[in-house]
Formats: sequence, C-alpha cells, structure tokens
Amino acid sequence: MIAISGVTKTFQRRGGGTHLAIDAIDLDIAEGEFVSILGPSGCGKSTLLYIVGGFVAPSGGSVSVSGRAVTGPGPDRGPVFQEFALFPWKTVLGNVAYGLREAGLSRRDADAKATALIATVGLKGYETFYPKELSGGMKQRVAIARTLAYGPAILLMDEPFGALDAHTRLRLQNELLQLWERDRKTVLFVTHAVEEAVFLSDRVVVMTRQPGRIKAVVDIDLPRPRRRDELLLNPRYQRLVIDLERMIEDPPEEMRA
Amino acid sequence: MSALSRSEGLIGIVPILALLLLWQAAVSTGMAPPALLPSPLAVLARFAQNMADPAFLAHAGITLYRLFAGFLIALALGVPLGLLGATNRGVGAVLKPLVRVLAPVPKIALYPALILSLGFGDASKIVLVVADALFPILLATYQGAAMVEPKLVWSARAAGTSRGGTLFKVILPATLPSILTGSRIALVVACIVVFLAEMITSTDGLGYVLVRAVRNFQTVEMFVPLIAISVIGLALNGALALARRRLLAGFPDED
Repeated sequence: MIAISGVTKTFQRRGGGTHLAIDAIDLDIAEGEFVSILGPSGCGKSTLLYIVGGFVAPSGGSVSVSGRAVTGPGPDRGPVFQEFALFPWKTVLGNVAYGLREAGLSRRDADAKATALIATVGLKGYETFYPKELSGGMKQRVAIARTLAYGPAILLMDEPFGALDAHTRLRLQNELLQLWERDRKTVLFVTHAVEEAVFLSDRVVVMTRQPGRIKAVVDIDLPRPRRRDELLLNPRYQRLVIDLERMIEDPPEEMRA
Repeated sequence: MSALSRSEGLIGIVPILALLLLWQAAVSTGMAPPALLPSPLAVLARFAQNMADPAFLAHAGITLYRLFAGFLIALALGVPLGLLGATNRGVGAVLKPLVRVLAPVPKIALYPALILSLGFGDASKIVLVVADALFPILLATYQGAAMVEPKLVWSARAAGTSRGGTLFKVILPATLPSILTGSRIALVVACIVVFLAEMITSTDGLGYVLVRAVRNFQTVEMFVPLIAISVIGLALNGALALARRRLLAGFPDED
C-alpha cells in the first residue's frame, strides 16, 4: 500500500551547510496494517510522515501509495497532528464538515454526515462549539473526525496523543484501537512512547537519531482485539516493551565508539 | 469577563474627565486667557449646536467620505498584497524592498505633489489617506499571513483543497485577526491625515472648518472640528471592535 524507498531528507542549515535529517529509509506498509515509527525526538520520524503525506518533498528517494508516486497531499492520506491544527474560525461542525464540502457534498449532506461523525467520536452536543472552547482531548477527537470525514484509506498520525494528559491519552488510545479494529485502515503512527506503540501496532519501526535511520523493525505478535488490562499481565507484551525501551535508550553509535 | 471589561471601560472615562476638568480649571483660574483658550463647556455647547447645523454636517460628511474611500481602497490593496507577499516568494521578493523604502516616508510630504497632479478636490486627499493607511494594513496582513501554522494549510490540502484554494479558505481567515489589528491602526492614521490634508488646502471638510476659524480668530469654533474628529475616531474604533467580536468568535481573546 505504502512503499517508501531510499527516502532521504536534508535541510539547509541557517549558517550554511546541510543537515541530514533522515537517511535512506526503506519501508513497505501493507493495506490495513498499523505501523508505528518509534524514536527519540529529533530522529526525523515526523519528517518521514510529512514526506508520505506529500507535505514535504524528499531530497532523495521516492514514496508511492497504491502504486502511484506521491507528489503532494491528497485525500487518500489523512493527517492527524499533535497540535490538532483545527481551523479556529470554524465550529466543531464546520471543521468536521470541511473535507466533505471540499469533496463537493451539499451543505445539508455534509452537515448531516459530520454530525454523525461527531457523535461517533463522542462529542454529540458540541457541534456549535469553537475549538478554543474544548479541552485537548476533545480537540483531538474533532481533528480525528475531520480527517475520517473524507474517508482516507491511510491515516498519518503524528504523535497525536503527545500533547494530552496521561488519562486522556489512554482513553484516546483505546478509542483509536476500537475505531481501527472496525475499519482496518492503514495507519502510520509516529510516537516516542514505547507502550503506546506496542499497544496499538502490528509492527514497530525503531529509528536512530542524526541521521534518522531504521534501526530495527519489530513485529508485535500480540493477539487482537487487545485490551489494555490483559496486555499488562501478558509476559510477551512486557518483553516487547522492555526490548524496545532498551533499543531506543541505546546511545547513538558515534558516542559509543 | 464582561463585568470586568465594563468596569475597565468606566475607569477609562476617569482620565478623560480629569483632562476636561484641568482644561476648565485653566480657564476658570485665568491661567489661560479665554480669548485664546475657550472653556470646554463653551466648546461642547457649540459642538452640540453645530450638530444641528446642515453646513457643519456637510463638512463632516465630506471628511468621512474621504476617510472611508481612502481606508477602503487601502484595505482592498493592502490585504491582497500582504497575502500574496507572504505566500508567493516572487511577490514577496518584489514587495519587501519596496515597502522598506516607502513605509518610513512621511506621506504628507507627497501632498504638494498630489495637489499639483490631482487638484484641490477629493482625489488628492483620498490618495493621501490611501498612502498612509496602506502600510499598517499591508504590514499587519503580511506578518499575520507569514505566521499561519503550516499544519492548517496541510490539513486543508489533505482534505482536497488546491494550493490556490488554501489562500482563501485557510490563509485569509487565519490572518483575519492581524488584518483587523492593522485596520485599527490604519483608521486612526486615516483620521489624522484626512484632517491634516484638509487643513493644508481645502474648501470643505472638518480640517478646513478649523483653519477658517483660526483665520477669523474664532477660538470656540476652532475646537469644534477637533471634538468632531475625535468623536468620529471613537465611533470607528467602536464599530471595529464590534466587527472584531463578530468575525473572530473562534479566535483566542486578546486586548
């Protein structure tokens, strides 16, 4: 479904020179697969996601989705950002209906569909609220609904729960998992939280920092549907979490030498 | 919140009243000769009287017309230029040095040249208002548009909006708070400059009324246009604040 081959990204440094953010990333993601990219901050994992989204152009290599080369953003790939990125001038309804209106639906149809989606993410009654009137968790639910509205085959989630408190984070992880188990969309999920990656994913891609390279790809062979309380007692889950934690705790290679 | 802002508004009246009292005291104690500085009561009485005078209202109307025409043209030029300058590298590269050179020029210095080319009528005054009101709007729009969170644009692009479409559907609404802030400054500047232009050469408008009063040594009459222009400024500011509250309902509060 997503084929990333040899993707490299260099940024211009302010004082001249270049900075290699990610280097020669090869990764294939199958349809319906939930893949997390796990790495320390600054390892370029978000950059990789933006390249798949078509928001940022790679310096080298290529990305294709369903066999077609990615040249820009498109409604087949729906992003969800850590910062929510809701339109502050639109209400909850206006935000969720945005992609539907862009797809050419009439206002009535778009509003009806958006209202149903808002109920799905548990925000019934908040349609006329502005984003600034909502908590962080509610904002992220609106952002997820806004993205789901236009029916992307792929969800690109950039540390979507990173700005939320621990309790809200767990709730939204559960809700996302339920949603995913129902729709089985392809998900590329960027995070630096090991437990979150293990809990949600089929595969976890571990990245190194500076430059960002793939260090390991770990299959998460835990049964689904997953329940948090059962997993916490599962030795296999514990083992995976510990292994992955050690992997990202390792100092960068140049420091070990 | 609204109770607080109401009491803040009441507190704001105090220094204005204090200023009027000081003015009155200066006249009453004889510190300033009444022939040069009339009492505020006399000025306010004359102002009230003039508000029923069709000739005075016509002058005020002409000033308002020049002010609005200039401001609206500045808005129609400044907003698109600011948006394009911030989103299009080529336009930005052309615009930036031009603005840097022109913005600090005292526009009133252009007025003699404007009179020569456009005459003594409305055109020269409106163009002067445009020249002065343009830059606050242009600069505020440019800065606001340059600071729009890229992820807002990305979210719209992913939802199917074209690159050009994001200009109207994302950048413009996201820049609205900055545009209104620039407009607020531009309106104050427009009030000042239209008055100045009418003082320099005119046969009508509030600035002309003031100069005519000075020439005839009518000190009470001299202060009336000043009160009128400050009332106009106050009313415009109030109208803009109202527009702000309506248009920016979803944006974080500021003041």
